[in-house]
Amino acid sequence: MLKKRLVGVITVKDGWAVQSFGYRRHLPLGHPEYLAENLDRWGADEILVLSIDRTRRDLGPDLDLVRRLGGMGLSTPLSYGGGIRTVAEAGAIIQAGAERVCVDAIMRLNAPVVRGISALIGAQAVIGALPLSSVLGGLELLDYTSGRSSPLTVGDLSLFDARVVSEALIIDWRNEGYVGAFDNDLIRLFPAVDVPLIVFGGVNRATQLEKLLELERVAAVGVGNVLSYREHAVQILKRQTGGARLRPALSVGISR
Amino acid sequence: MSKITVGIVDYGVGNHASVRHALNDLGWRCRTSGEAAVLDACDLLLLPGVGAFRPAIEAIRARSLDTYLVEQAERNRPLLGVCLGMQLLAQASYEGGFSHGLGLVPGEVVELPPPHWHIGWNTIDQVQTDPLFRASDGQAFYFNHSYAYRGPIEFQICRTTAGEEFASAIRKGRIVGVQFHPEKSQAAGRSLLRQLIGGLCDA
Repeated sequence: MLKKRLVGVITVKDGWAVQSFGYRRHLPLGHPEYLAENLDRWGADEILVLSIDRTRRDLGPDLDLVRRLGGMGLSTPLSYGGGIRTVAEAGAIIQAGAERVCVDAIMRLNAPVVRGISALIGAQAVIGALPLSSVLGGLELLDYTSGRSSPLTVGDLSLFDARVVSEALIIDWRNEGYVGAFDNDLIRLFPAVDVPLIVFGGVNRATQLEKLLELERVAAVGVGNVLSYREHAVQILKRQTGGARLRPALSVGISR
Repeated sequence: MSKITVGIVDYGVGNHASVRHALNDLGWRCRTSGEAAVLDACDLLLLPGVGAFRPAIEAIRARSLDTYLVEQAERNRPLLGVCLGMQLLAQASYEGGFSHGLGLVPGEVVELPPPHWHIGWNTIDQVQTDPLFRASDGQAFYFNHSYAYRGPIEFQICRTTAGEEFASAIRKGRIVGVQFHPEKSQAAGRSLLRQLIGGLCDA
């Protein structure tokens, strides 16, 4: 049976892992490598690194970081998002050691590039990030480069419908970093019903995870800050969540 | 054999650090190369792969590694294909249009049925008795693919269900392919790699 995934999300700004609150406030946590090492050791199902300042500053992807992470020999799948502008850059990320790439702004700015990325590395290796908020019974998509939100349109989802992108990373950007705050309306109102979802932003309580994982369209939950402050945080969260939907927690280093 | 050397076939696509680390952790030497002379000196060839079929097989052909790999298979050298590396062992793929593969295992690579991809941790179920896979039967491994092998049942060792069943491990003599990423499958992956490489070199 295909298990649902607990994805450890590492948010990176200026090369440092940060604790992020609502896409606005950031507190430094340390080197991303240390967080990745912990997530790997504790048995996260996937590690997603999001370099949040690369697109805004037109820096391209942080290939040095991906190379460093790739060179660590992580035994956990690694995905990277941030700053991707070209097909070649996405290819370089895979070459540097990631299994998947996460694209955001470029889906709206240059869809042909995303199609090219998908042709090169396969749609299964492409995640599409959508920072969303619910407003008056509808969804709004945040353009984080300008800080402005606008209603989510059919066009915003065309790459998902065309199977160019395999999973949607639904980010509750307003509630990101806050305890148990994820807005379930983002899932309820999301119109592309066949697209598997990774939900992230304000997801950090076991009971909340369990309810989200019960939803058929939720393939994975992304958890960030809460995994950074406690030894064996992944194993503990998995055990608290329970159920057969997640791969069982590793027993190494933690008492039963 | 006192110490096994694994030759990671480098055709310019994908990163080999994870495979290399996993193999080194298991106590084996690795050589990563696209040069016949280097690969000739290895005990087992490992064909990795991340990405789409067509650019990968084109990269292999551009380096004349297709001819080399076919010759090595004819000499009965052990060969392990991982993920896309398994698909490349087949005769053909329909990903991105029709492309010929290496033709080392009869069968072809076809698109998965809806939802059209298979991403995450899933279990493998042994459908033919094979000592290399016995200890891993029922274990979960990391998959990330949208195409899968379809071929004669005699070459299918393990199957996995994702919507429909597909072959997650294939074998023809000393040639083995796994659709998942053992190097990214934590303890279960390391355990299987130990069995596969040790077993294939002793076979």
